[in-house]
Amino acid sequence: MSKFAEPMARLIDELKKLPGIGSKNAQRLAFHILRSSDEDAEALAGAVRDVKANLRLCSICNNITDGDPCSYCSSPTRNQRLVCVVEEPTNIAAIEKTRHFNGAYHVLHGCISPLHGIGPEQLRIANLMRRVQDGQVDEVILATNPTVEGEATATYLSGQLRRAGLKVTRIAMGIPVGSDIEYTDEVTMLKAMEGRREI
Amino acid sequence: MALKESEAIVLRTYPLREADLLVTLFTRMEGKIRGVARSAKKSKRRFGGALEPLTEVRVCYNEREGQDLMRLDSCEVLESPLASEVNYPRAVALAHVAELLDELLPDHEPNDAVFRLALAVLAELRERDIWLPLTYFELWMTRLMGYLPDLSECIVCGHALNGSRAYFHALADGLMCPNDKRLASSELSGESRKLANQMLHAPVESFSELSLQKAPTADLRKYFLQILQRHIEKKLVTAGMLEKIDR
Repeated sequence: MSKFAEPMARLIDELKKLPGIGSKNAQRLAFHILRSSDEDAEALAGAVRDVKANLRLCSICNNITDGDPCSYCSSPTRNQRLVCVVEEPTNIAAIEKTRHFNGAYHVLHGCISPLHGIGPEQLRIANLMRRVQDGQVDEVILATNPTVEGEATATYLSGQLRRAGLKVTRIAMGIPVGSDIEYTDEVTMLKAMEGRREI
Repeated sequence: MALKESEAIVLRTYPLREADLLVTLFTRMEGKIRGVARSAKKSKRRFGGALEPLTEVRVCYNEREGQDLMRLDSCEVLESPLASEVNYPRAVALAHVAELLDELLPDHEPNDAVFRLALAVLAELRERDIWLPLTYFELWMTRLMGYLPDLSECIVCGHALNGSRAYFHALADGLMCPNDKRLASSELSGESRKLANQMLHAPVESFSELSLQKAPTADLRKYFLQILQRHIEKKLVTAGMLEKIDR
């Protein structure tokens, strides 16, 4: 016999499917939802429904958006000839936080990951190549993660993009601001030395 | 709870809970182990880039009594694949080495010969084209796991294959002569068998002058992969990806 009434058990089962949520947390969230007002519970259910019904991928950059093209691709104040390539839509927020990048984006929705069977053909590269071949882009900044898989993705893309004859750059790697050189590992230090610049 | 230290190669990482990583390591001292790296996703201060696949590290870990998972205390990078350029073929080759080690090695069984082989092949993969080091790695993994059949005689009639054509089949335990080959067998060329014999008697560094493209070792690699996949009873994900690389 189930410990909880069927609707409660169902809600707990559904919440358990969320990343980072175990049985105890799922129970806590389910009881929180049960105790909240009808309006709050309805607002939560509505928000979940809305996300699934109204969000889609931008046809130009693959960012998640409620209107096509997305706000970055349709903005007249942004430099559409400068494109920053990122792995996931969440990476855009990190770059936007700098308030120094005024170009457009392209989201790959992943990176080359041979152990998971993900090669270049599984990534959203085709529409980036179309943008480049149509002559809409002057420079592409490769902002994939500084991991083996991110590096492999960046190297693969740079090979493809250079054939189109445009400027391809890679974001710098090195020591984080506020950290201590003494505690920096050798690979990070090597990358920092390689990417040094004249001041 | 004893703190242990060992040289190790990072094979894979999986996300665990909010910010932890579950890490599979091939240690020199204890063979393949699994451990939890606390907060490794959130903070890079403790582990930095040391948990990238195929990084050679010096790892300190706690063994907890009655528990299979170790607790990783620290990882010092000894050699990182990120120190040189990681292009697509090299990334697939590195992943292939990691997958083979992960699938073939049993837990908690040290194997110094495989450890030395892995280090030598990883060093070669930093320097040169991928095909020769990969062929060498697959050949020696097949041998060190005890799966390599005699390359010089037919398993059906026992006649020496020297000079004559040799064939292999996914369900056969060794090479066959033209008279005994099964339907849908593939040929293993004389040059490939000669190269395999050379590889069995020399370190991988001694082939540094030999630059191989994919095609000349394709039959040899197909043969070893068939043997290995038959023993692990599954298809290797990275084998399919290597097939798609054209040079």
